[in-house]
Amino acid sequence: MTDGMLRAPAEVKYAEELDWLESIDDSPKPFSWRLSPRMVRLFVLGSERADGLDREVKQKWFGDRSFVERAIVTLASDRGLLLIGDPGTGKSWLAELLSAAVSRNSTLVVQGTAGTTEDHIKYSWNVSMVIAKGQSRESMIPSPIMTAMEAGVIGRFEELTRSTSDVQDALISILSEKYVSIPELDDDNIVFAKPGFSIIATANSRDRGVNDLSSALKRRFNFVRIPVVTNKRSEAEIVRFRTEELLRRHQIELELPPTLLDVLLQSFADLRAAAASATSDDEKLESALSTAEQIGVLEDAILHSRFFGDATLRPETLGGSLVGSLARRSPEDLAILNKFWHGVVEPRSKKDKGGPWEGFLEGGRQAISTLS
Amino acid sequence: MSTFEALREQLEEAARAFGARDAVAGILSGMVDDVGRALGEEPEIFPVCHHSPASALAMARRLRDKRPSVIYLELCEDLAPLLEELRNCRLPVALQAFASELDGFPAAWAPLSVIAPITEASAEYQAIAYALDTPGVEVVLVDRSTDHVFQWEPREEPSAERKEPEEGEDEDDAALHGDAVGIEIGDLRPGFAELEEHLLHHGKVRHWSEWWDQYVEQPLAGADYATYRQVMVLIGSLFRRLRPERPGRDRRDEDRERYMWTRMREHLAATGADPSECLYVCGAFHAASRVEQFGLSADAEPYEITPRTGTRWSYGLIPSSHSAIEAQFGLAPGSVSIAAATFAKALKRGGVTPFRLEGQKGAAKRKAPKPSRAPAAEPATDRLSGYLASPPVLDGLDESELLGWCVDIVRLARRNGYLSSTADAIAVFETSILLAGMRGRARPTPYDFQDAAVTCIEKDSVPGRRDVRRLCEILLGGDRVGSVGYESLPPLARDVLDRLEPLGLDLTKRTIQRALLDLDADPALASCSRLLWILRRLLPDDAVRPIMGSRELGERSIQESWDLAIGRNQRSIVELGYEGVTVEQVLEQRLRRAVWDPKATAAIALEAVEDATLYLGGRRFADELGARAVELLAAERTVDDAPEVLRRVRRLLAYYRASEPELPAWCEAFVTEGYAHYCTLLPTAFTDEDTGVRQVGAMLGFLFGMESLALSLGCDHAQLELAVRQSHPEAPAKVALLWAARSQLGMASLAELRERCDELLANPLVIPSFPLYMSGFVQALVPFPALAALVVEVMSKAFARLPDAVLLPWLPGLITTLREHARELVPVLVREAGRTFPATLGAVDAWAPPWEASAPGAGAGAAAPAGGPVSELLAARPDTCDAVAALLGYPGGWTETASASGAAGALLVRHPETSAAVAVLLG
Repeated sequence: MTDGMLRAPAEVKYAEELDWLESIDDSPKPFSWRLSPRMVRLFVLGSERADGLDREVKQKWFGDRSFVERAIVTLASDRGLLLIGDPGTGKSWLAELLSAAVSRNSTLVVQGTAGTTEDHIKYSWNVSMVIAKGQSRESMIPSPIMTAMEAGVIGRFEELTRSTSDVQDALISILSEKYVSIPELDDDNIVFAKPGFSIIATANSRDRGVNDLSSALKRRFNFVRIPVVTNKRSEAEIVRFRTEELLRRHQIELELPPTLLDVLLQSFADLRAAAASATSDDEKLESALSTAEQIGVLEDAILHSRFFGDATLRPETLGGSLVGSLARRSPEDLAILNKFWHGVVEPRSKKDKGGPWEGFLEGGRQAISTLS
Repeated sequence: MSTFEALREQLEEAARAFGARDAVAGILSGMVDDVGRALGEEPEIFPVCHHSPASALAMARRLRDKRPSVIYLELCEDLAPLLEELRNCRLPVALQAFASELDGFPAAWAPLSVIAPITEASAEYQAIAYALDTPGVEVVLVDRSTDHVFQWEPREEPSAERKEPEEGEDEDDAALHGDAVGIEIGDLRPGFAELEEHLLHHGKVRHWSEWWDQYVEQPLAGADYATYRQVMVLIGSLFRRLRPERPGRDRRDEDRERYMWTRMREHLAATGADPSECLYVCGAFHAASRVEQFGLSADAEPYEITPRTGTRWSYGLIPSSHSAIEAQFGLAPGSVSIAAATFAKALKRGGVTPFRLEGQKGAAKRKAPKPSRAPAAEPATDRLSGYLASPPVLDGLDESELLGWCVDIVRLARRNGYLSSTADAIAVFETSILLAGMRGRARPTPYDFQDAAVTCIEKDSVPGRRDVRRLCEILLGGDRVGSVGYESLPPLARDVLDRLEPLGLDLTKRTIQRALLDLDADPALASCSRLLWILRRLLPDDAVRPIMGSRELGERSIQESWDLAIGRNQRSIVELGYEGVTVEQVLEQRLRRAVWDPKATAAIALEAVEDATLYLGGRRFADELGARAVELLAAERTVDDAPEVLRRVRRLLAYYRASEPELPAWCEAFVTEGYAHYCTLLPTAFTDEDTGVRQVGAMLGFLFGMESLALSLGCDHAQLELAVRQSHPEAPAKVALLWAARSQLGMASLAELRERCDELLANPLVIPSFPLYMSGFVQALVPFPALAALVVEVMSKAFARLPDAVLLPWLPGLITTLREHARELVPVLVREAGRTFPATLGAVDAWAPPWEASAPGAGAGAAAPAGGPVSELLAARPDTCDAVAALLGYPGGWTETASASGAAGALLVRHPETSAAVAVLLG
């Protein structure tokens, strides 16, 4: 089923697992949910031996259990769910997993941008059809949110705070009245939400102040704050999980040496510590240094070694791709990376003669000199 | 033993099914053995866990049923006299044992402090209240004394583990216990981290308090006594058997058990009490003990109790709080408050009347319980199987309670700046139930409610000081802070409260109170003011804080205003009470201790003199301290403290001169001793690399500033001259200081000094070190303020001529030096600069530095004979001058005034027009 798709949505990718979970789920399900809340939690966080299941369910999102529980419970309640956190903390991934588990459809997504209009949230018209047949339900193009309302499933709104305040406020009536009226039509002019409809929105905490939510809208959302993962063990877990998925997607056979993963995690931890102690924005990398960023760096290195190298991941390539991914502003970011390379990586490589840090040092150095 | 046979078989079966080795089977059946053994013992063992409402509840019930005549309690035996004092306090308070003078312990451990907090919702309080208020009942504390607590500490470690308050705690209340070592009855926690982690993970809870609440508290809340006892001993036994080997700690635990059983036997033997009338209250962990002295029937030798050390312990009560207890014992924030709330609810629901001490403050009076006699002891039956086999049976949903919480949290949130409304209350209610359902609980626990409230009310930012999580904690009981009643305070604290009574404030309150003292209108308040200043000196910073008014030598405030937080700092005052009977006595002792300390210096002694004069008044004590200061000064071999000594002695001298008819003898001794001392050390200080320029500056300040006094007291000026002559510094800054000193002594003139500076500036090789000379000159302002003109001149020249590369790196150093010693240096410098430089911008263009203007004239050295009416008068009456000259031993002789002598004079005589024109111009 995933053939021909660059990236299959969660409900397609885990279709078989979801079917199985649904078949064994005998707990009460709210509304038209496909799985009970406990099964949704099990799907997202994976199973344990104590759950007594016949087969293992893998963990798909890594983080505190209470976040997931609070998110699921919110979806079963009257309010929308707003996942808020730094970029790259896995908000969208959690949103996708939840919609896939609850309603087997995670593709009803509105992407919030500065250009998002109210039409994207409610409905728009097929102009040629309106000219030919006049305004009718047939010539109306429902938005993903409206589709979700009609089907009683979960609709998603990505990067809510990127869209302007008046557009955001279109959600207020959807979330409280649970219907959208279409004044252009004379009859059949109200679309009511079916039971099971809810909205999962994500917002980037770095965007705070750009388009703040109105208090009326805030009231209709439950906020669940997703923190940056700082636990090294779970971070390694996430990076390995996502990278393996990417490798599979690109059909690349490549060994990911654990020492290189350590190098990557360690350098990100060091860079985060440096960013935390920086006093001005100029001393901080523009990147949020999130887990997603690490995955990006690793992916970049893997693809590079696959297509331009000898199909083995080398520390040099990793160093180069780390510099390449993180140096966004010249000269500020380059200066910070240069300092980091001399102050942290160099001593480490001296201590670790013959280890991966030496190659990492070399690769990064070359990349810095090329870029500057 | 047959009672638990079925259970034992079942457990052994389970161990076999897991394919486990003998160890597991041993542990499982051993647990059952422990339960059987503890239950069959006499006196009756009552296992408890700290801050467990179930324990308190079971205790209240059992006491009513059994009505024991002796209660043995696991609490340090030497704290016993304090129990009676609990009556006067508002709980929670902590029993404290305190020792500052150690004998038999490493000195580095001082001061030693042990606290045992007592809350109302605890089994031990129930037992104490019952025993103290029921005639004929005795409570006997049987645990090792506080002295033994430290005797049994391993010597290499600094002391027992001390915990930092957790982040996010209300620091104020969490720090109520200071750094005391906490002891508690019934400490019950998994022995190693992995076990706890495992239990939390599979219990699907976040922290230990929540696990305990869900799996032990709730099921036991309504359970009968037999179930309660069996389950508690079982858990105690589980944690006892499942723990890593830690020989030191295990031995200490076992020694405590031996100690307690030995004490009990001694008491029984001494009083002849009937063991069946006794109750032994101990932690569940100790109920599952396997020491040989366990049980009255054991025939092991009594444990040999070591004598206490010579350390003198003081005892008292200090206020405690729920958050302080949580911080001290590593419990989750809010857990003690939640336990207290659970206890209150269980009492209401179960219709149990708890015991309360007569006269206890803080809660509503309850009806006296009806005495009822115990039913006949029932035979032990197996209640464990049921407990172990069934999942935790929780109460049904208590809808009205949850609704109450939801409404209250919304109200509280609104008061704290959240935009919450009734809709939120509904959402919290719904979410709590959904969360509880998802977590497999029939009714939401306070923790589910907390999560739900955070989900529904917390948005992207916290508007006020407290977030929703904290508000929930406040709502579910809130932090209770205890206080110690007046009658139970030590004499010092009572004395303080009595003496501050004229202020008309209730100082036992925990709020900050403003006291206004108009000392002119009401001179009676002067004694309050004095006491407040002493408290300011002795207590932590925030306890008493002057807003207006100060206490300095020679000053007197007309009005003062104070922020007093004495109620909040009750612990500090109680601890002061261990040191003496009045604050004056404590201060005197502390000052005396400070100056007789082996590390004391003259500066410390002078500070003590100042404090004694300021706070205690009277000369006797100040003189005693002053005499010690002289001794210390004479014994000092370094001059590190010279600036401090100079500052303090100047201040004291000024004070004595202004207020006393004559200087105290010690002052005179100090000045003469100091003069000789610093003269001796001066040459070394000048050359010693470790001595800073500031220290040398201060020495010179002392020598020159006090010289007239020292000389009048018999010192010899030659001593100073010799010392200066012997000084040969190499560091540029010190060289500059020496030059300044020489010019002050008349060994070099100002003109020479100026010339030297010019030479330095003209020499390109010296220029880089010129700023160092400048630093020396700046420091010279302290001893020689008269040099200010020269310093301004040299500094101006330096700014004008030095290259930026030299000047700029030096500037920050200069600025920090000036800032640091602003009080001494800046006024002199600024006044002189104001005199030298033009005041307006316009005048700058026309301005010529005075030193440049005077340079050509000054070059001649000798002053030109003056003209004018004065010299004319002198010339007309030469006898007076001649007589003075003869007296001074100068040969007589007059020079002619050069009115018209020389070539210039001749020229002027020849062309008088110029002179006339100049005279017209000058007006």
